[in-house]
Amino acid sequence: MTKTILILLCLGASACTTVKPTQRAVLADPIMQFEGDPQASAQYRHAVDNREGSMGGGGVSGGGCGCN
Amino acid sequence: MRLQLRARSTRAVFASALGAALLAWAPSARAQAVVFDTAHTLWHEAPTRTNMTVYTPGAAISATPAPWVTVRGAWEADVVSGASVATKAGPAYQGVNPGVDVVTTASVKDFRQAPSAALTLRKGDVSYTASYTYGTENDYRSNSLFVAARTDVFQHNTQLELSYARNFDKVCDRIQGVNDKASRFRALEDSSGCFSGDAVARTRRDLGIDGLQATWSQSWTPVFATQLVYTAQILDGFQSNPYRSVILGQGIKAQEYHPQHRTRQSITARANLYVRPLKLAVRLSGRGYRDTWGITSGTGELEAERYLFEGFRISARGRYYRQSGAVFWSDDYTGGDAPLGPKGQYWTGDRELSPFSSIGLGFRATYGIAPEKPIWIISAVKASIAADAIQFSYDEYTLGGTPITNARAYILGANLSLSF
Repeated sequence: MTKTILILLCLGASACTTVKPTQRAVLADPIMQFEGDPQASAQYRHAVDNREGSMGGGGVSGGGCGCN
Repeated sequence: MRLQLRARSTRAVFASALGAALLAWAPSARAQAVVFDTAHTLWHEAPTRTNMTVYTPGAAISATPAPWVTVRGAWEADVVSGASVATKAGPAYQGVNPGVDVVTTASVKDFRQAPSAALTLRKGDVSYTASYTYGTENDYRSNSLFVAARTDVFQHNTQLELSYARNFDKVCDRIQGVNDKASRFRALEDSSGCFSGDAVARTRRDLGIDGLQATWSQSWTPVFATQLVYTAQILDGFQSNPYRSVILGQGIKAQEYHPQHRTRQSITARANLYVRPLKLAVRLSGRGYRDTWGITSGTGELEAERYLFEGFRISARGRYYRQSGAVFWSDDYTGGDAPLGPKGQYWTGDRELSPFSSIGLGFRATYGIAPEKPIWIISAVKASIAADAIQFSYDEYTLGGTPITNARAYILGANLSLSF
């Protein structure tokens, strides 16, 4: 398992500089962001996570759920 | 007195967050970026015999007075109203009590507030964030500390982030008899006096939550990026719904009783691809989840977004979710063949711990402009609206043998962001 992770990281590292700064126009556009509207996304996740038995992938901050 | 102290505490957090943001927006720093965000979400569902409406407003202001520092103050709330299941029974019990409505519901009204303050420091391509959130509800208190470190490497093609949160929460509960076993515990009637200390038969139970998340984001080509996220959470303390009772046998009704410990883990993989010929961004996401209560789940999401004209984009998204039930889940603890019957020392009436699946569909429209010359003091505006519908399908959960129908939730969202 550890070896697999290391190999993946090395492969990732070797391919990391393939996108030059001058080629980042599309990647920098809001349309390509993983979290375009953080506050709106957080509220959507908050609503959905409270109705499911699972969680993850969207942050770990707390503050209660308002779900009883 | 305690009420006053708590009110002061809430005001102090909010005031310090606002103060920090305003301080950063001092005249000498007016040329730097200040961003105001407000987001509003409305959730509504009305499945068999119950209904729930939750309005979630939120506002945040962040300021970057110097390239190396950002301060942020935020406030969020949940306004909850509806009716939820107060006593859960299954088909076997209903079968031997024909003509009796053994399932009961109770009205729910709650108001959660969560002010927070955050500070981000940067040095080169590394940033550190720390934040504090104080959450209050009629029956719940939460003190949450959050820290995160993030770095960009390989000419910003790789981002690594590690974050940790610790919650010190307290849940209101009914004081139980000293010699009573869990099967004799009685549910909390209401939230009156929960945190004011002037009601009898109220106590506060601890719930500690540790959360850890590691994120690796990678740009592979000028139009393709991926993200891998590992999330872990350890909960230790009271995790039941204090208001809910479960029928355990003929004439035996007990407060819902969940294990004190729960460890949850998930891995999420995301991929974003821009399809140049279609001028379309496609986002694909998959998540696998497992916890020590025996719940495993899988989530798949697909979203496509494109610009219709400059600054205006629309997206459509779909989501599929499926989970197994907790090992102690049963639709009826009074007996019968599987999947009914007792499942050990714990019992629940929570449909979120039962096996089910859901399908969600939604869209979002976003308009953003950043004119070359600021309009008054506003340098950029972004507004969006969103609508989603989620259809739940419960495999085993019933209300006294009556399947849940119309389990469909509607989610409306609106978001406005102003940059100065």
